[in-house]
Amino acid sequence: MKYTVPIGPIHPALKEPIAINCTVSGEEITDVDVVASQNHRGIEWIGMNRNNPVQTIYIAERVCGICNFCHPACLIMAVEEIADIDVPERAQYIRVIQSELERIHSHLLWAGVAAHELGFDSLLHYTWMVREKVMDTLEIVNGNRVTKAIMMYGGVRRDIKDEHVPKIREMIKYYQDLFDKVAKLFLEDKTIKMRTRNIGILTKEDALKLQAVGPTVRASGVKKDVRQDTPYFAYPDFDVKAITPDMLTGKVVGDTYDRIVVRLLEVKQSVEIIEQALDEMPPGEIISEQKIPKLLAKIKRAEGEAIGRHEAPRGEDIHYVKLKSGFESLYTWKVRAPTYSNIMAWRPMLMHHQIADIPIVAASIDPCLSCTNRAVVTENNEEKWLTAEDLHNLSVKKTKEMMK
Amino acid sequence: MELEEIIDAFKEKGLEVRVQTRMAGVKKKVERKTLWVDIERERLREIVEYLIEISEEFPHFSVISPSDIGDEVEVNYHFSVGYGKYMGEIPITLKVKVPKSDLWVPTLTDIIPGTVFSEREIIEMMGVDVKGLEDKRHLFLTEDFPEGVYPWRRDETAPKKTNKLYEGWKE
Repeated sequence: MKYTVPIGPIHPALKEPIAINCTVSGEEITDVDVVASQNHRGIEWIGMNRNNPVQTIYIAERVCGICNFCHPACLIMAVEEIADIDVPERAQYIRVIQSELERIHSHLLWAGVAAHELGFDSLLHYTWMVREKVMDTLEIVNGNRVTKAIMMYGGVRRDIKDEHVPKIREMIKYYQDLFDKVAKLFLEDKTIKMRTRNIGILTKEDALKLQAVGPTVRASGVKKDVRQDTPYFAYPDFDVKAITPDMLTGKVVGDTYDRIVVRLLEVKQSVEIIEQALDEMPPGEIISEQKIPKLLAKIKRAEGEAIGRHEAPRGEDIHYVKLKSGFESLYTWKVRAPTYSNIMAWRPMLMHHQIADIPIVAASIDPCLSCTNRAVVTENNEEKWLTAEDLHNLSVKKTKEMMK
Repeated sequence: MELEEIIDAFKEKGLEVRVQTRMAGVKKKVERKTLWVDIERERLREIVEYLIEISEEFPHFSVISPSDIGDEVEVNYHFSVGYGKYMGEIPITLKVKVPKSDLWVPTLTDIIPGTVFSEREIIEMMGVDVKGLEDKRHLFLTEDFPEGVYPWRRDETAPKKTNKLYEGWKE
């Protein structure tokens, strides 16, 4: 019996379609153009025209499957600032725990994808097996692995109960015990080092000028982290420090290897934050206004504008919200996801590398897009389309050749 | 530069600064402040260059968010300076109001290369022309998206037919 599995134009490894047009001469990439206009869902339009502000939380959650906490978090922070909605102390702690759980699972997911792009599939399976622990924890705490519907104006929708705490502590111990092993697998492996050291370098100057965010900019040596720069929720209690690769390796190169280092250290940092949050979590209410109609009426009366910023796993996520008194929806809602800023950095990263390096370099910014889906290769003025599979095979071939 | 110094410096330039404050933290309470500055479009480039001057490294540009406010379009440039240390970052939003009869803003791509995506986006989404921008292709909308339709507008140029997304749609 035969099955046909269609792959693409959306690649299952990464969501959302995008095309990078790479001009190459032989094997070397000489120009890069990113074409993002593949599929626009009009999410902001829905939030500005169709939905009321509470419904918009759930559409914000669907901006991205991985960052399904970050987008509602930004929107809610902005609206809470305009409408002056209080948030109970316990809810602020739960929000911190939720965002750190999300960072752990997102970074581990990325590590698996990176291993896969290098053709190191046993490491992909191992990393994703390790990731299951945090996914199980998310399921126990929220009842769902993704799209957890945890955020609400003025608090959170579900409490972290006493019976959840031992499960979360078990997860913390699991990751603390495993950290050295995973770090050794990723950072000391000869093949990974060969394929990522000095590959896809983003200099500090380029990173600053192209406005890169998150682990991408931190791997280039810029200590930029919203949790440290303008702490929100309960983050001021935690003294978060932005992580740069020199903390582990003693130097900043700004290449793909450094981006692995930053993400691994951030997983460790997230685990520590969750542990501290569990120890210090205050008791009390989790939401300041239980009645949704009352909440909606308050938001409808409010007028003003604000920005909500959150350090998502991929970097700074920012939403701008403008409310107009008497207007049913959000008057203006602008969503800026971290990948929006980071894909501009692809150009300097990819220049003068080989075609086989595209998958790992493109994946190194952790794009929230199906990045290597379609690349146009111009050879002798003839255009040839490479699919994701072609590129992946090229990448695997390069790894095998280097291992010889 | 500290927050007060920046406010004073803007005042010297004849600009009013609105400060919005929100508390954060549980045990350690901190005040998160955002600055909002109204400027004319003719002074936009001058002020952005000033931001570069006062930042230690380089100002971080986040995004442009335009809103349709009747006869005018309000174009907000979200910047932040002083990041990299605890509570050091100051988000600054530059607000430029442009009349719909003369709808354009100057490009910033030569000063801050990272603004290119946002500038391409406001052209297609809001119909705001960006003078001096080289690459004016669509960014998120497809090549064949109809001319003169701007999804973020609230006037007659807003998309109408596309409102009916599925059968049983309620107006």
